[in-house]
Amino acid sequence: MKVIEVKDLAKTYYSPFGNIEAVKGISFEVEEGEIFGFLGPNGAGKSTTIMMLTTLVKPTKGTAKILGYDVVHQPNEVRRVIGYVSQDLTVDDTLTGWENMYLQGRFYHLPKEVIKQRSEELLKLLRLYERAKDKAETYSGGMRKRLDIAMGLIHRPKILFLDEPTLGLDVQTRQDIWEYVQKIRKENGMTIFLTTHYMEEADSLCDRIAIIDKGEIKALDTPRRLKDSIGGDLISLKISNESLEEISKFLEKVKTLEVVKNITSQDGRYTIVASNAEKLIPVIFSIAYESNINISSITMKKPSLDDVYLAYTGKEFRDEEGSKEDAMRMRRLVRRTR
Amino acid sequence: MRTLMYDTYSVMWRELKHWMDQKVRILVSIFQPLIWLALMGNVMAKLTDNPFGRQAFGGASYLSFMTPGIIVMTSLFGGIFGGISVVWDRRWGYLNKMLAAPISRTAIPLGKMLATAIQGAFQSLIVVIIASLFGVEFATGIPGIIAIILLAACFNFTMAGLSIAIASRIKTMEVLTAVINFLTMPLMFTSSAMFPINVMPDWLATIARWNPITYVVNPLRTLVISGWETGDLIKGFLYVLFLAILMLFIARHEFKRSIA
Repeated sequence: MKVIEVKDLAKTYYSPFGNIEAVKGISFEVEEGEIFGFLGPNGAGKSTTIMMLTTLVKPTKGTAKILGYDVVHQPNEVRRVIGYVSQDLTVDDTLTGWENMYLQGRFYHLPKEVIKQRSEELLKLLRLYERAKDKAETYSGGMRKRLDIAMGLIHRPKILFLDEPTLGLDVQTRQDIWEYVQKIRKENGMTIFLTTHYMEEADSLCDRIAIIDKGEIKALDTPRRLKDSIGGDLISLKISNESLEEISKFLEKVKTLEVVKNITSQDGRYTIVASNAEKLIPVIFSIAYESNINISSITMKKPSLDDVYLAYTGKEFRDEEGSKEDAMRMRRLVRRTR
Repeated sequence: MRTLMYDTYSVMWRELKHWMDQKVRILVSIFQPLIWLALMGNVMAKLTDNPFGRQAFGGASYLSFMTPGIIVMTSLFGGIFGGISVVWDRRWGYLNKMLAAPISRTAIPLGKMLATAIQGAFQSLIVVIIASLFGVEFATGIPGIIAIILLAACFNFTMAGLSIAIASRIKTMEVLTAVINFLTMPLMFTSSAMFPINVMPDWLATIARWNPITYVVNPLRTLVISGWETGDLIKGFLYVLFLAILMLFIARHEFKRSIA
């Protein structure tokens, strides 16, 4: 069963200084029970998409249906079946863990006993029960995020939207959070729609991934097939020869080999895409020997999602991290000065 | 309608929790009127020592004249900062959390306005208590005091609505605070809250007659000084009620526009 159906969804922000096309007509579907990941650099349109699906932003064009409910015409029906955990830490610091859960339960019109029972369940599951009587301002970053996620689950949503849920958290906490999310998904048969900028997470967690850049979906498939789509393994070479002519002759020769799909160069490194790279390396060496080429270093790797990302967006994912982290730190700083 | 009331209570509950958490703010709300009454009352007491002055101030001591002014002033400041939490909620993302839930959109401004009204009622009660300790006698007794508090709460509600409406357009704290200060100070000093209209120069008296604050202060003043002047009182109540309802709709409209 399809739980999310998106067709030609677009959002343009109009301003006197020029219009920004945040999302340019994307279409995709998400099946029940899937973990569906959205990957993309800052400003790619990830958050705008999530906000349209969670009824927080009205689309300029196109339609989006959540469990058959239209996000524009039936927003309240949509809101009842979805949970939303935004990338900001949106727990109320002046309230205790219990009070935060209580208020959230009230927002979803749950009866008092149900709120109490589910809060207890979730607070225990997310290891917050012992601290539930303390104010959230005394919690660590990881605890706050866990509380945030617990709040997003109190009404047992059919679909959970997680916008960068592990942003700025340490490795241990990140792992914990994913463990809980997996557990909860198994218990409730929930569908999860997430954005993350940690490649390994997307790779190991998501059933399918959409790569979004400049408001468009560049690729959408399972992580396995996305990696396969690159065409094979990656061999990276560094050559110490001065003469570019010699090098290009050598590369021409390598290119004629049947298993080699593609060769690219970046900053003096040459990347050869090939299937069966293990067997290709000795061949490369013998060609190098014949053509008087000195290979100063060689590495081989199976493609990661990073490589897929780079191939589809032309950007190295790591470039984006710095600014995101900084933004997060800034946000924390402001939060503390409140 | 039931959802609206239920959700309004949720929003209000959160605001009041925040308020009770800020012990300093509650202390300030006690000390501020105390200082005003002690300072202004003593400095200005001479104004009403002579028969002419007494007549200008409606035959009351300056302190009795001032008390309604201070109630309105605390309501004005308390109320107009009541809507500021919208800006915080927006900045911290809590607003989106509420909006992603199936809660009534009207409940958010209404809940905040009601919470401000309750705080206003509490603050007015404190001013009343402090004023009676300073020797102000309330001409209409306990029922009058209840009427004063109700009126003040209504005015708080109105001002909170105004600030929510402004905060829906101006989304940064710094600019918002500047705009609010720009609004409140002149509003206060061009009204009859501090001085009676009949001692003002003509131009100021004209402004004061049109100033909404004057309309709120006047019925309060009759309750403190002269007793139940039903006609004036009903006129004042209706006016404040009208303002409150009008502001609720404006705040609701502006807030909804800002989240669309």
